[in-house]
Amino acid sequence: MSSVLVLNLVWQVGTLALIALGLAIVFGQLRIMNMAHGEFVMIGAYAPVITAALGLPGWLQLPVCVITVGAVALLIERTVIRHLYGRMFDSLLATWGISILLREAVELIFGRGYQSVAVPVPGTLYLLGADYPAYRVVVIAGIAAGFAALAWWNARSKVAGRIKAMVGNPDLARAIGINTGRLSAASFVFGCTTAGLAGLILAPTVRIEPMMGLDYLIRSFFALVVGGLGSLEGLGLGTAIIAGTQSLFGAALSQTHGYLAVLFISILFLWLKPNGIRSSSR
Amino acid sequence: MASVLLPVSLLLGGLLLVPQLFGDFFAYQIGLYLIYGIAAQGIGFLWGRTGILPLGQALFFGVAAYATAHALRDVDGLAAQLGLAVLVLGGIVAVAFAIAALIFRGRSDSGPYFSLITLALVMAGEQIANTATGLTGGFNGLSGYDSLGGLDPFGNFYYLVVAAVVAVSALLLWLDRLPAVLIARAVADNEPRLQLLGFPTHVIKALAFAFSALIAALAGGLFASHQGIVTPTSIGFALSTELVILTAVGGRFHVFGPLLGAVLVGLASAELRDSFPYWEICLALAFVLVVLKAPGGLGEILGRLYHRILPRKPCKLPEPVQAPVSRAGEAPAPLRFDDVELRVGVVRILNGVRFETPASGIVGVIGPNGAGKTSLLNTITGNLPPTGGRILLGDRRAVGLPPHRALGLGIGRKLQVPSVFFSMSVAENLAIAMMAGRARWRDYLRPSPLGWRAPGLDAVLDTPAVPLRAELDRPVGALPQGHRQFLEFAMTTAAEPRVLLLDEPCAGLSHDETTLMTDLVRRFQADTGGLVIMIEHDMAIVEALSDKVLVLHQGRVLAFDSYDAVRADPAVQAVYAGGTK
Repeated sequence: MSSVLVLNLVWQVGTLALIALGLAIVFGQLRIMNMAHGEFVMIGAYAPVITAALGLPGWLQLPVCVITVGAVALLIERTVIRHLYGRMFDSLLATWGISILLREAVELIFGRGYQSVAVPVPGTLYLLGADYPAYRVVVIAGIAAGFAALAWWNARSKVAGRIKAMVGNPDLARAIGINTGRLSAASFVFGCTTAGLAGLILAPTVRIEPMMGLDYLIRSFFALVVGGLGSLEGLGLGTAIIAGTQSLFGAALSQTHGYLAVLFISILFLWLKPNGIRSSSR
Repeated sequence: MASVLLPVSLLLGGLLLVPQLFGDFFAYQIGLYLIYGIAAQGIGFLWGRTGILPLGQALFFGVAAYATAHALRDVDGLAAQLGLAVLVLGGIVAVAFAIAALIFRGRSDSGPYFSLITLALVMAGEQIANTATGLTGGFNGLSGYDSLGGLDPFGNFYYLVVAAVVAVSALLLWLDRLPAVLIARAVADNEPRLQLLGFPTHVIKALAFAFSALIAALAGGLFASHQGIVTPTSIGFALSTELVILTAVGGRFHVFGPLLGAVLVGLASAELRDSFPYWEICLALAFVLVVLKAPGGLGEILGRLYHRILPRKPCKLPEPVQAPVSRAGEAPAPLRFDDVELRVGVVRILNGVRFETPASGIVGVIGPNGAGKTSLLNTITGNLPPTGGRILLGDRRAVGLPPHRALGLGIGRKLQVPSVFFSMSVAENLAIAMMAGRARWRDYLRPSPLGWRAPGLDAVLDTPAVPLRAELDRPVGALPQGHRQFLEFAMTTAAEPRVLLLDEPCAGLSHDETTLMTDLVRRFQADTGGLVIMIEHDMAIVEALSDKVLVLHQGRVLAFDSYDAVRADPAVQAVYAGGTK
């Protein structure tokens, strides 16, 4: 295996893990099946398009992304999601509608056509005997550092436990002093914002268009199916298997084959191991 | 039959008038919307009855459309074309059934997993349609073939579409009155209960999905012939989404809802799509609003208006019919636990439980909270498969089987919190229970099983103090807790299982109701000569009913003997009097 292929694989796994992290929080912890998760990736990817259109300097991409995605997520949480805690199937329906709405709104503003943005870190790095885009190396390092920090924080913080308590019994959680409204809103917005960040990161490497989110929704969902809900190791394993399968089959045969292989593996897991490789529930 | 024939003839009459009143081109447009409406009716059937939301129906629609285009282009003769159509439809049904059965096996929810898989499937289909140019013509699609049977798409083909709409609607209306759809609705209502009544819910869900796929495929075949061209958009994600929106807006609970949605949204889209840029957003917003505020869509709103003008007739109860013999009531057999262990995560719930009951009689199970009493029943019915040991019913192993197989072994179970079909009437609940262990495949397509009665159920209903007889047509959701306990007892015993598991049947009952329930339990045991295993905290009930008492403590059997012997046991006394044990 050439080293470029390995680095590509790491890139795929890293970005997918970032997207799946948000879904793991919203779906795994809050029990909201967010069908609009991919649309937050999409909105995040439009952040450089926004700054370019407004003539803002490049360093504002990050704040623009976080503010846009965060504001949309908060608005949706306060108006729709708030009523859907504890009603997973209804959440699927409502967020499905929201995903259509977000796609149509973005299409109305930016048009249906593809957009592309420049890579913020140009040039290549010589790594493992091959030239590799410096931007991707920087991003991989950033994501790795981010996940390390998250794992460290998760081991010490009580937030995960509080979220679990809130989802398990909202009334009791309120009675012991958890501000459930704020906690659930914060978790939802955090989950969506990580997806938006992933979109911003991916923006220079993909075609930006209103429909782009669907593919990320499906792949990150399958990563959770394979890895199981409720642990960071499961998330890592799941994304590695899904992104790995897609990259390998995609490189060896075609993108369609990669996609079909991922679909096949996911159906196999739902059939034989419905709780994933790692799961906190069993 | 009037409830099927009248609306269908009205529909037929209305649709036949369209070309006369508005001309052929308008009829051509309506024909397309009706084709989408048929596919949406399939979604409505699946989503409105079983609660499963398919997000990828365009896959079946599109596959059938491509197959039709190929058949019309490359196969000569109407008979050969229709034969091929039957083959393709059969293949689609088989694939849809297999996928759904695999995914639903081992899980009792209709939740997000299946919807996501259907979404992924349709996206895969669209990708293949775009790339496999040899098969699908790629981006440009397949075209340049004649319409089915040489009918004119802008003329008489409309009548074929009308015939299909009327046939599908009649079929769906007919099904809605049959046990098949009652069972499908029970899946959406309370799947664990339906499994304990012996119904393989994953097969039911897979059948419903395959049926909806068949309807979508039928619509796809019509579409190919009607439009004269099939492109990847016919198999795509966008069409799938649109079909779901049509179903939701039109109303998924009524057979005509999706048709209404398809025609109204189709007409409005044709009018507004180009002139009003916010149309698509408005449509998406309408979908969100329907989901949040009016789950029944337009169909329900119109239905309510209609019933305000013409009040609903009180629904007639089905004719009582003698039911066939239950397959659950084989010869009584002893239940044996051999070192059964149950661990969930790090928690050890049962630690080597060992006992053997007599084949006949009433066994009371007692023990402090957390002793593992309900888990013991869960291992018997397969809700929690044991992690070690064996459970034998007579000489048959009762371990490792899923819950829907328990009744086939002769095991019936009443749950701790009354578990019935809350959205249905008492009569419907009893009808489902009477089909448990008795119905054969063909019975689900005949109305008579809805009125099945057997002496055992009649005996319960005829007991003067049992309140159910007077409230057969009432919705269960409106019953008080005590009545639900009796309903669930009647439902569990309807199949006359040789082993009856009761989890605190007297919880929440008044003194008189408790006496009544204990009488019913005793009488059921005496009539069937089978085994009753009953968890109970009230020692007076345990003493009055039990032939033997099983004491559980910390996942082990502390004592298993007659009531008096157990009461005299110092170990039991220590546990119950707060000793040092």
